[in-house]
Amino acid sequence: MSGLAHYFESEGLSTVLVGFVREHIEAIKPPRSLFLDFPMGRGMGKPNDPAFQKKVIRAAFDLFNAPEGPVIADFPEVIPVKDGRMGYALPPELVLSVDDIGGVEAVLAEVTAEMEALRPDYDTAVAERGRTTVGASGLAIEDFAPFVAGFLDGEIPQSPRKGMPAITLLKLVVEDLEAYFTETRTHRDNIDDLELMGKWFWEESKTGRMLLLLEAVSVASDNKVMLQIVEMSLMAPRFWSEGPLPGTSAAGW
Amino acid sequence: MTKIPEMPAVGRGFISNLDLPVVDDPSWTHPMPASERRISIVSTAAVHRRDDKPFSWLAKDYRAFHKTDRDLVMTHVAVEFDRSAWQQDLNTIIPLDRLEEMASDGEIGSVAEEHYSFMGAADPVTMEKSARQAATRMKQDGVNTVFLIPI
Repeated sequence: MSGLAHYFESEGLSTVLVGFVREHIEAIKPPRSLFLDFPMGRGMGKPNDPAFQKKVIRAAFDLFNAPEGPVIADFPEVIPVKDGRMGYALPPELVLSVDDIGGVEAVLAEVTAEMEALRPDYDTAVAERGRTTVGASGLAIEDFAPFVAGFLDGEIPQSPRKGMPAITLLKLVVEDLEAYFTETRTHRDNIDDLELMGKWFWEESKTGRMLLLLEAVSVASDNKVMLQIVEMSLMAPRFWSEGPLPGTSAAGW
Repeated sequence: MTKIPEMPAVGRGFISNLDLPVVDDPSWTHPMPASERRISIVSTAAVHRRDDKPFSWLAKDYRAFHKTDRDLVMTHVAVEFDRSAWQQDLNTIIPLDRLEEMASDGEIGSVAEEHYSFMGAADPVTMEKSARQAATRMKQDGVNTVFLIPI
């Protein structure tokens, strides 16, 4: 992001950016930048808090008054993160193996039941918010779990989406599943807590368990892309974990 | 303040090993007065309209969306950032409503017709061509100010 600022500035556009990693801002030296001590994914700080969001914007835009640069300012308010991590992370010890799968049909049945139970609250959330982020995969909600379950026997299923390989689609379906759960719960219970949402979905839900089984299948897979997904922490949230997933180096990047 | 040495191992290793672009002769564009600023948002959240092509994992290209678009989805490859905030309120990452309010109140000049999204996981050096194309579109829309917001 800091690098992009230089390109736009050199096109005759004045720029200001907000950023979460102060050391990177200091190294790349964009013209004007506001450091935010916030979790990643929350550039304006707090959802549904227009006053806080405007404070961030005004603090950033104040930097247009600087006569020269590069200029870096620190936003004065902090949104704390847990243990130095900028987002939720799975406990390193929470790892499943392919031996935990048992029967794929049973796994799918419990996930399907769990998702169906959430559907009325999900529909209410969408209706009241007027939008949903679910659907990046292009699949219908009822097709998410069966598609993921299709990987659990170690084979790569056919992609139902024209022009998109199955593993690329799998990544989007995993995102859609998490969004389905967290959109529902944040609205139903009126909570905004990224650690709680991560714990609930990944550590407590049947659907999160299915994805950890998928992770186990990926580690054991002969398919390089499946292994790459876990090496790069692209599926389960282990980027902020104290140590890589067993069986991987976390060096895929 | 969270500093890189205090981050957990996996993320610390990744972030501290990133190749950071070096700009030897950085540009400086004198800002317009606040009331004349026409502002476009640039996000690296890899969001786009629902019917747009998803971003590839290390995409160099961008997607544009209109200031009234709210039906956006995200196809960012990385999982290290929180998604629950933008699910609740788009303004948490792309504050179009806030900018419109500030334009109505006279704090800024106006909000651009188009805003832009890139894949933040990609090396920014590979995005230069796309960024300059986006800049050309911005200038055709009378934009003079860019607000960059990472994910």
